[in-house]
Amino acid sequence: MTGKKKTIVKNKLNSKKTASKKNAGAPRDRHVTIRMYNVGFGDAFLALIPDGDGERRILFDCGSIEAAPGLAMSSVVDRIVSDVTDAKGVARIDVVVATHRHKDHVSGFGLEAWGGVHVKEVWMPWTEDPADEEARRIRDGQSNLASAINTALTNRSAALGAEPDEELSRYKDIVANSLMLKNERAMETLHSGFSGNPKRRFLSAKSGGDRTLETDALPGVKVHILGPSRQPDVIRDMNPPKGESYLRLRGEAAAHNGLPPPPFPPQFRQENYTGTGTLPKGDPQEIERAGAMSDLAAAVALDKAVNGTSLMLMLEISGLFLLFPGDAQWGTWKAVMEDPEWREMLGRVKFYKVGHHGSHNATPKHFVEEMIPDGVCAMASTLTRRIWPEIPKKELLTGLAAKHASIARSDQPKKVGKVFLVDQGVIEAHIPY
Amino acid sequence: MLRRPSQDGIAQPARRPIRIFASDPQAGRTFGNRSSIEVVNEHLSPGPVGPRLEVIDYDGSQQCFYKPVDLDDGTILMRGGLDPSESDPRFHQQMVYAVASKTLENFDRALGRILTLGSQNRKRGAKYPRLRLFPHAFYGTNAFYNKDLNAILFGYFNAEAADVGPNLPHQTVFTCLSHDIIAHEMTHAIVDRLRPLFLEPSNVDVRAFHEGFADIVAIFQHFSFQDILSEYIQRTRTDITKPNPLAELAQQFGYATGSGKALRSALDKPDPKLYGTTFEPHDRGSILVAAVFDGFNKTYQNRIADLVRIATGGTGTLPQGDLHPDLVKRIADEAALTAQRVLNMCIRAFDYMPPVDVTFGDFLRAMVTADYELAPIDEHNFRGAMIEAFRMRGIYPKGVTSLAEESLLWPKVEKLPHFGKKVRKLLEERFFSAVRDFDESWQKPDDWRGYDPKQTCVTREEEEDIKLDVSPEMAKELHAYATENANALGLDRSLKIQVRGFHPVFRVSPSRRLLIELNAQFAQVDHSVKGQLGGIPFRGGCTLVASSDGDFRYLISKPMLKAGGDEAREQTGKERFADQQEYLQRCDMQNALMPYITHKENQERMLEMMNFANLCGG
Repeated sequence: MTGKKKTIVKNKLNSKKTASKKNAGAPRDRHVTIRMYNVGFGDAFLALIPDGDGERRILFDCGSIEAAPGLAMSSVVDRIVSDVTDAKGVARIDVVVATHRHKDHVSGFGLEAWGGVHVKEVWMPWTEDPADEEARRIRDGQSNLASAINTALTNRSAALGAEPDEELSRYKDIVANSLMLKNERAMETLHSGFSGNPKRRFLSAKSGGDRTLETDALPGVKVHILGPSRQPDVIRDMNPPKGESYLRLRGEAAAHNGLPPPPFPPQFRQENYTGTGTLPKGDPQEIERAGAMSDLAAAVALDKAVNGTSLMLMLEISGLFLLFPGDAQWGTWKAVMEDPEWREMLGRVKFYKVGHHGSHNATPKHFVEEMIPDGVCAMASTLTRRIWPEIPKKELLTGLAAKHASIARSDQPKKVGKVFLVDQGVIEAHIPY
Repeated sequence: MLRRPSQDGIAQPARRPIRIFASDPQAGRTFGNRSSIEVVNEHLSPGPVGPRLEVIDYDGSQQCFYKPVDLDDGTILMRGGLDPSESDPRFHQQMVYAVASKTLENFDRALGRILTLGSQNRKRGAKYPRLRLFPHAFYGTNAFYNKDLNAILFGYFNAEAADVGPNLPHQTVFTCLSHDIIAHEMTHAIVDRLRPLFLEPSNVDVRAFHEGFADIVAIFQHFSFQDILSEYIQRTRTDITKPNPLAELAQQFGYATGSGKALRSALDKPDPKLYGTTFEPHDRGSILVAAVFDGFNKTYQNRIADLVRIATGGTGTLPQGDLHPDLVKRIADEAALTAQRVLNMCIRAFDYMPPVDVTFGDFLRAMVTADYELAPIDEHNFRGAMIEAFRMRGIYPKGVTSLAEESLLWPKVEKLPHFGKKVRKLLEERFFSAVRDFDESWQKPDDWRGYDPKQTCVTREEEEDIKLDVSPEMAKELHAYATENANALGLDRSLKIQVRGFHPVFRVSPSRRLLIELNAQFAQVDHSVKGQLGGIPFRGGCTLVASSDGDFRYLISKPMLKAGGDEAREQTGKERFADQQEYLQRCDMQNALMPYITHKENQERMLEMMNFANLCGG
C-alpha cells in the first residue's frame, strides 16, 4: 500500500491557518487524529493521540463482512500495520480494542500480519472473559444459536438448489456475522496473539465507584467505560432466545430422527386425531408454523444479542471527549443517557463514531436531537448493501446534518467535508483540543 | 352457569371436581399443591371438548397426537379426574381444561354475562366454534395466544443444564402444567374478546396492560386454593408481602430457564420513577401488578386487624411459634374474600374502559368508577388503598385534577338525548335474551352456542370484521344514534363511526342490590396515517354507560384529531397521536429487525408487534 494522500484540505475546526506539523506539540494546535479505514461493511478506526514528541495509538476493531470494491481485508491490514510502523521498522499499537465478537468488527485479526505488531494492552467487553462463568454462559448461548441457525439455513439453501434465494441470503449474512466461535483465528489473536505479550482487560460499566480507566499505555487519557454493564436488563438483552425449533438440526436431536426428544412414552401417541375438537385440514401445519421461530426473527435476535455485548467507550483527553460506542444497542444507551455524569459528557462530545454502520437503533434519536453538540465530527463506516436497504438510516444522517455535524462515510470518500483528509482507503479527521 | 339438565329425575351436580397442580410440578408434593378445583359441570366429550373450550393435543414438534382424555368416563369421574402426573398427557389436558374453565368463570361472574370464545362469526379467516387449547403445541420456552388460530399454544422444553433450582437438569418442563401460565394466556384470549383493539400497541401502556392484567388474574386466583393459602399465611405470619409463592408467578418456568427465581413477582419496592423508565411490556405490566397487589394487601391488613387483636388479647402482636389453626383459617378466609373482591373489581373495570388506546391511568379510573357504581360506600377503603398504591408507583391518569375518588370517577354525561323509541323496543328483546342466558332452565348445554343467533351480527367496515352481540337492526339504530350525536360523544363527523359493542350488564352489589347497566362502544379509524405509525392506524372512540332506563351516566372518550370543534377534546386527540408516534420510535429503538428490513417491511413493522408469540414468555 502506498498511502498516497491526494487531497489535503485545511481543517475547518482548526482556526489557525498557519498550522504546520512542526509545532504540533504546541498547546493551541494539538489535535487527535482519527483514521477510518475503508473495510466495506465493518469497522476499523485508528486513534492517534499526541504524547510528547510521539503519539499513542489505539485501534478500535478491524473487521468486515463485505469488503469495499477493490480493497481486500489483507490490504487494509497491511495499510494499518504500515501506518503504525516507525522509522526503525517497529510496528506498535498501544491499545487494541475489540468492541464485540462480530465478524464485521474482528475478522481482520485473523490475518498473520498481527503477529509482528507490538501491543501493550487488548481491551474486550467483560463477556469475553474466559474466567467469568456468566460470560461463558452468554457466549455459549450465542454460539450455540448461531451454529444451529447456520446449519438450518445451509441445509435449506442446499435443498433449494442452485436458485439464489434473496430472503435466505438476507438472514445468512446476519447469522454469519455472529458465527465467531472461540476457536476462530481472529479470536485467538485477540485472546493470545500479538507480540509483546499484551495485558488483556475485560471491561464492564459500573453504576458507581471507579468508572474510569487510566493506564500507563495511554498517559493523559481517561477512558470512561459506558458499556456493557452487568445490570440484569442489559444481560437479558445479551441472552438470545433459546431457538429450540432449531434443535432438530443439531446433535441432541439426531438420536430421535431429527426431532426433539419425545415428551411421552409411545403408548400415548396417535397418528390420527380421535378427539372431538375442531381441527380443519391444514391446521396442524399452521400450528407447527406458529410454534416455530422464524429464521429472520432468530437471526436478528442473535444479532442484537451480540451487539448488546459491545464495549462503549468515551475517551477524555484534556477536556476533549471522543465517543466510540461500538455497536451498542438501546439497553446500553439507555443506561448511559439516564446516568447524570455520562449524560453530561454526551453533551460535550466532539467526535462520534456512528454506531452499527449507521443503522437505526444504534444511535438514539434523542441523543442526536437533544444531546449531541452542534458541529460534532461524525464518522460512519458503512456500505450500502442491497439486502439491507435500511443501513445506513437516512433519517439518522439528516438528523446529524441538522446539528451541523461534519459527517464522513467510508463508502463515499468523495463526499466528505473539508474536515477530512482523504485518500482511497482512509478518511482522516483532526480533532483539535 | 352452563349446567347440565337432570336425567331421570336425578339432578346433575352443579359442579365437577377436577384434580390439578395448584401451582406447577416443581412444587411437587408440597402440601396443597395436589389440589382439586371445582368447575361448572358441563357436558364434555373426549379432548376434553366442552361448550366453549376444546383441548386438542397435537404436538407440532413430534407431528403426532396424544390420546385425548374423556372426563365423563365413569372411572375418571369417580375419582374426580386423573391424579396429577407429569408423564401422562391426559392429565395435562385435564389440567389445562380445568384452569382455563376456572379463569373463564371468574370473568363470567364478575362481568355478569356469559362470554363467547368462538370465532365462527369472522367473515374472513378460519371459523372455530370454541377457543382451542393445545397443551403440547411445540418444543420451546414459550406459550402464547394466537388470534388467527383462535387458540392458545403451550410449549414444552428441557430445563437448562445449570442452576435449575429444584428441577433436574434437562428435565422436561411443560408450560401447560403451570396454573399461572394457563391463567395468564387464557386472560389474553378473554381480554381480546372484551377489547379486540387492545392488540394494537397505540401507546406505551397497551401491551403492558395486556401482560399486567393477565398476571393479575393469575396471581389473585392463587388465593382460591385454601390449603396453600393457609400454609403461607402461617409461614409468613399473616404478612403476605414477605416473598412467598402466593405473590409469585410461574415458579417452575423461571427456575427451569436458569433465572434462579420465579418468572415474575407481584412484590416490588414502590418507585415512582419506574413508570417513566420501564418499557418492556412484561416489566411495565409488573408495575401494574405490584400496584394492584399493594392495594389488595392494604385492604387485607385492614380487614384482619380486628381478628389479630382478638387473638392477641388486644395487643395486636402475634406470639412466637405457630399461629392457632383457627386464627389462620379465619385470616385465610378474609384473604380469599378480599382477593376475589379485588379480582372482580379489576375485571369489572372493563365495562368502563375506552374501546381503544388504554393506559394504566384509564384502568385505575375504570376500576374506581365501576366499584363506586356497585358499592358507593367504600367500606373497607378498597378504592382508597388502590388509588394510594397507584400513586406510589407514579401512575396518574391524564387530565384529572386530584387523586381524590370524586375526581377519578369518569366524567358524567351532560346533555345527551335518550335513545329513540325503536332502540328501546329492541332493548326489551335484548334484555330478555340476556336474562335467558343466565337462566339455566332455558339451556340445552349440549348444543349451547353461547349466543342467541338473532342477537348477533358481523359487520365489515373498512376491511375490518366487527363482531357484535346485538341484532343487525339494533346495530343500525345505534349507528344512527351515534351519527346524530357525534359532537356530544366527542366523535369526528368526517370519519365513519363503527359500533363496536353493546351489552346489558347485570350485577349484584355487596348490599344485594341488582345493578343493571347498558354499555355501548363506538370507534373510529383513520387509515391514512398508517405510514407515520408503522403500519397501524390511528383510532379513537368512546364507551358510553347508561342505566337500564336509558339515562346516560358516563362517557369515556378517546377523541380523534377532530372532535366537532371541542378544543379540549381535540387537544387530547393531538396528544394521543403524538404518544402513538413516540411509542413507535421507542419500539424502533428496541426492534432488532430495524436494520435488516426491506422498505415494505418497514412500512408495516408495527403489525409484527401485535403477535404475542414475538414476546418471549407470551
